[in-house]
Amino acid sequence: MSGYGGWAGKVLRIDLSTGRIWTEDTVEQYKDYLGGTGIGYKVMWDEVPVGTKPYDPENRIIFAVGPLAGTGAPCNGRTAITTLWPTCWPVPLVASGHMGGQFAAKLKYAGYDAVVIQGKALRPVWLMIADQKVEIHDARRIWGQGIRGATAAITEIMGLDAVIAAIGPAGENLVPMSVVISSVSHSAGGIGSVMGSKNFKAIGVRGTGSIRIAGKREDWEKLINYHLSLLGANNQHVVPNSPQPWAEFYDPATRWNASRGRRWGAAGHLVDTGTCAPHETNRIAYRSNMAAFFLGDNAWQHTVRGSGCTSCPIRCHTILKVPTVAAKYGIPTVGQNTCVGFLFGRSFFKEFSDGPKGMTALEACMVGMHLSDDLGIWCNYMQLQRDFMKLYYDGVIEKKLGSREFNSYSWSKYEQGDPAFLFELLPRIAGKEGELGTVLGLGTGYMLERWGLSEEEWGKDKDLSYWKMGHPKHHGSEEAGQCGLLINLMYNRDAQCHSHTNFLRNGLPLPVQKKLAAELWGAPEAVDGLGDYQPMHPAKSRMAKWSLLRKELHDSLSLCNWMGPWVASPLRERGYRGDDSIESMLYRLATGDDKNRMELDKVGERIFLLHRALTIRGMGTKEMRDRHDRIPAWVFADKAGKAPFTKGTTRLDRDDVQVALDMFYDELGWDRATGAPTHETYRKFGLDDVASSLAKNNLLPP
Amino acid sequence: MVRTRETVAESVAALIRKRSAAGELISATEIADSWQDEYLASSPDKEGSGEDMEGILTRLVHENKDLHKLSSAGSPCFYSDLHMTAAYAQIALYKQEGPLQLIAETVRLNSSEYQRPVALDIFTQPPFNLEYDQICDCLSIMTTMAGYGDIVTTSSSASKIYLYSTVHLDGEHAAMLAEWIDVGQAHNP
Repeated sequence: MSGYGGWAGKVLRIDLSTGRIWTEDTVEQYKDYLGGTGIGYKVMWDEVPVGTKPYDPENRIIFAVGPLAGTGAPCNGRTAITTLWPTCWPVPLVASGHMGGQFAAKLKYAGYDAVVIQGKALRPVWLMIADQKVEIHDARRIWGQGIRGATAAITEIMGLDAVIAAIGPAGENLVPMSVVISSVSHSAGGIGSVMGSKNFKAIGVRGTGSIRIAGKREDWEKLINYHLSLLGANNQHVVPNSPQPWAEFYDPATRWNASRGRRWGAAGHLVDTGTCAPHETNRIAYRSNMAAFFLGDNAWQHTVRGSGCTSCPIRCHTILKVPTVAAKYGIPTVGQNTCVGFLFGRSFFKEFSDGPKGMTALEACMVGMHLSDDLGIWCNYMQLQRDFMKLYYDGVIEKKLGSREFNSYSWSKYEQGDPAFLFELLPRIAGKEGELGTVLGLGTGYMLERWGLSEEEWGKDKDLSYWKMGHPKHHGSEEAGQCGLLINLMYNRDAQCHSHTNFLRNGLPLPVQKKLAAELWGAPEAVDGLGDYQPMHPAKSRMAKWSLLRKELHDSLSLCNWMGPWVASPLRERGYRGDDSIESMLYRLATGDDKNRMELDKVGERIFLLHRALTIRGMGTKEMRDRHDRIPAWVFADKAGKAPFTKGTTRLDRDDVQVALDMFYDELGWDRATGAPTHETYRKFGLDDVASSLAKNNLLPP
Repeated sequence: MVRTRETVAESVAALIRKRSAAGELISATEIADSWQDEYLASSPDKEGSGEDMEGILTRLVHENKDLHKLSSAGSPCFYSDLHMTAAYAQIALYKQEGPLQLIAETVRLNSSEYQRPVALDIFTQPPFNLEYDQICDCLSIMTTMAGYGDIVTTSSSASKIYLYSTVHLDGEHAAMLAEWIDVGQAHNP
């Protein structure tokens, strides 16, 4: 290990087939890829042969964190998990899932930047990492248990200061729509069954070491405080959702929902969130109540407190206490989650007797969380729920199931919005029971294929939010115009990129956003008002590229792309500017590697390029523009027939989108005709060997 | 204690700042009620200065960059931007002027500055704090009273009512935005 700070120094390697355990030097092997998805893609490129399937022993699962994990940098709790994605249709390709919690920090404190799992164990096992002591343990006693039970059992062995990441029955049963979850509520979708295919139940990590910061202590503390000063609320929303005396602006749609009089009603004593002005950095944790944001004002009275990841003041997980669920459904009264985790149960239902944000909806959320986080079922950004609802109300489920199986479900309960229905449905998905349980667990692409339904038809229905390759949009064209569209083309699952949307939804009025956008991406035309989209502009392609590179940097440094980037801030005295160099400043001081923003961005671009190369190699074609970067038909439609570029529609124009692709490929140094990076571009980013390998298989553009 | 113009002025400035810190405006009338009698009774140089409370307030605003005067239909109001933004002060002023004005001007501001409709129920929340029936009554009055013809409603597919101003926001755009705010963004968390 060199003299760098930040990195723990070793990558832990585990071969479950042979039981071999060894380490590699992180800096020697992976410094040019930072960590996280960077290490993940590099291992996949170097070690996983073309044609490998997700459940083959040759597939790797790379749990990787970055040089900022476990430091004092705000929002550093993300672990990237990279593998061949079992729900990617029609060919499984590389993708990453991301979990928060304390796992990333604990892994670093144990001395590792990543754990690479390969092979397949003969019988169920779990991995114990206790600093330098690394052992593969028999997991037969916990195989079959839910995630909570498995977590408790391993915690009993390793102690309360250990962090456990485990799969549930869904993963064990090779249900592609499955997750791994750390600390019982921080999930990474899509991974569970790949772990299950290796007979790999869980990782327990206990770390007692520390991370060395290369820079001076006072400089580091100053930088952390500066970063904290730029933080907004969840998703870096920088404007409160109601008028506050300190605020120049407000936006009812932001996640900064603290206010005097809004209280955590189920805390031991009533906690008033207060006004939470921007300079009160010790009160950042009160700014967002994600349960109230997603579930409605009713959730305030059930809020115990916020929770979240290492060194993150945002606390985007909310702990809820709902006493009625114990007697009604026989589940614990306390649960915690965020975002789609909260919405999991509720989103299966069209309506509830007491409205969309009433008590029944809240109970459906509690039941959904309880079941999905224990069984380990993935919702694929709620595509599972949207698919289910469409299949049922279109009569497809009744048509496809035999009457015996169809009648084994209480459909009247379902139609009435009774959360108890979830006890019938979700265990059958996790157990692959019956045709319905099996098909819902496959993921959208394979589900459609099995039932002879058309993916093209799925892509026509805007309400389904389906995008391509088995996955939905994730902050796409409807809320971010061409920029959102371009971002959603790039990945082999839902894009999970928040760089663009965190800026567009930050709550600042459009003129202020445009002013900042001009500074960041060269022209105010980079951003449009929602539903007032304008023709393509070069600044939009620059914003799209920037968004993707920031995502890859965050995923590789362990910073949270759900919270950053921090290019806008709540600070009026700064004209609401944030700082586009936060990532490089943190990286430089933590590691001692003297890279400025542009140099670090190049590393991000190298990582993103490697992802593109893996995709090209996996698909066996360089024709990315036609065969990978596909756009669903709903993007070009409007229910009322409104024309593109008129106010009140999210419809985009087909010709304009082709211009957008040209500009975007140009921006990245990719070939316009194929959408594949050129040899020169690979060479520019130090990936000459990758280009040469692709060239041998005719996978480079002319 | 003998009050001079200067000590009274300092006290008035402190009072304005205190009220702003509590999220409230203070009117010239209220200030005068609090201080003018005492000032007039005790100020040794009142004869020579010729400066009344209005004069003191004018001078205070001139000499203290944080203090601001807002004109209103009634007595002018004051606030300190150390504790309250101009935007919030404006809301507080509309609030003093009554619910019709508060709703209409808030809706217009949202439509013009932010290009968005506002949900009717935000007026039940702080700092507006109107009763639901009160809001409905105001909307009913607006349909017949001159000067409010631009304030109209649209609703989301989940039946939530939104308000916007036709002067600043196109109807179809407002409807699309209301649907996004209430329904669409929940599907794009």
